[in-house]
Amino acid sequence: MQTIVAILIVLVLVGLNGFLYIRNRQTPVPEGCENLKPDCAACGIGDCALRAKFMEMKEEEHGDH
Amino acid sequence: MNLFTLFISAMLINNIILSKFIGMCPFMGVSTKMESAVGMGLAVIFVVFCASVLSYGLYYAVLEPLHLEYMKLICFILVIAAFVQFVELFIKKNSPSLYKQLGIYLPLITTNCAVLYVALDNITQEYSLIETIVNSIGVPAGFMLMLCIFSTIRERLRGNDVPEAFQGNPIAFIIAAIMALAFSSLAGLV
Amino acid sequence: MSEKKEKKQSLFTRLLVENPVFGLYLGICSALAITTNINNAIGMGIAVTIVLTLSNILVSSIRNLTPNDIHIPVYIVIIATLVTIVGMVIQAYTPSLYSALGAFIDLIVVNCIILGRAEAFASMNPIGPSILDGLTMGFSYTLSILTMSFFRQILGTGVLSLSNPFTNAEIFSLRLIPEGFELPFFKEQFGAFITFACLAAAVSAYKTHVENKEKSAEL
Repeated sequence: MQTIVAILIVLVLVGLNGFLYIRNRQTPVPEGCENLKPDCAACGIGDCALRAKFMEMKEEEHGDH
Repeated sequence: MNLFTLFISAMLINNIILSKFIGMCPFMGVSTKMESAVGMGLAVIFVVFCASVLSYGLYYAVLEPLHLEYMKLICFILVIAAFVQFVELFIKKNSPSLYKQLGIYLPLITTNCAVLYVALDNITQEYSLIETIVNSIGVPAGFMLMLCIFSTIRERLRGNDVPEAFQGNPIAFIIAAIMALAFSSLAGLV
Repeated sequence: MSEKKEKKQSLFTRLLVENPVFGLYLGICSALAITTNINNAIGMGIAVTIVLTLSNILVSSIRNLTPNDIHIPVYIVIIATLVTIVGMVIQAYTPSLYSALGAFIDLIVVNCIILGRAEAFASMNPIGPSILDGLTMGFSYTLSILTMSFFRQILGTGVLSLSNPFTNAEIFSLRLIPEGFELPFFKEQFGAFITFACLAAAVSAYKTHVENKEKSAEL
């Protein structure tokens, strides 16, 4: 009985997470904020979205010079 | 425990970065400019406060009456992830200026050790609700303070002649070492 | 013969250059906090390796079933479940290790290495390579925190000692620095940061050395 309740709680939370994640992806970024480039290259997580944007910014700078 | 003492202890004496080493990843990454430091700091304060209070409520209202205390790690991390997504959604729709300041740092906060640490610590230390609130504001306030101090030092260091092996992150750790030495003098205060 | 030597060289190089702690700066929270002695480092390293390998296996086996949108919360649930189980096992069998590691066992969930490898490698590769990747990353993480705690323990307490976590019996204890000449600040926050900075600088210098050698080999 308890394990069923536990699994139910986890499923509700995962469902909430998924729902909010999908809604977040669908909402467009407000205008004026499309080319915000964060300032972050500390760790080596290759997949991080912030790092990808930071690398783009770095490449643009190198292209200008 | 006296609430003021709790706040000072959480913010300065047992500072989460210099004394407990938690939250180091974004600390090294986002501390090179003052504006990004302020943005990240405000985002962390808001997320830690709200996520900790929500986790506290979830624990004492749902998990403990059902004797499911062992689920707290899974539930807390899911609550934190959901809350961060919700905040980003809310800010995107309602406040573009706020999104410009701190929206880009929000995805980084989900895997920040600090948020999960504060949520778990409130339960381990068995704080009451008002103590949880004070602790959950004090700890990220200390994080933001260290982030701002750190970014000003790193900005000053930018034109200087750092040895090649130490450039980038290693010199940041040396700076953190000296700051830790300075703040460790507060250790016996409380 | 020289080919074998080259291959061995590149393994060593890869271990240093793609080091998760000193090269990529992942998982530094735990690397700084619990490296006061070798027992803790070995215990934490083994715990992270087990969680990493098991999570790689699980993520790799369900990689075709999870819809792409909600894969992050699903991976988080898998990793959190594994960490809860490993935490309970540690609490039951090695209580001294549990009280030494404290909150950092629970913080393995947000250790950047585990979620990073799950997303970058295990979600796109079959089970066999994922197991190997988990073991390799866990091994190099363990080696890194072992190095750091080696320096901190010898310089901070002067004694190199190891004890059995299951029974608390001491395996060996070797005094390397005479009594009264050790540097106690290595046990504290200051020493942790200094040791980390020096080791990170050493790895960075080695990285530039390797890059220069490759460039001169091309020319």
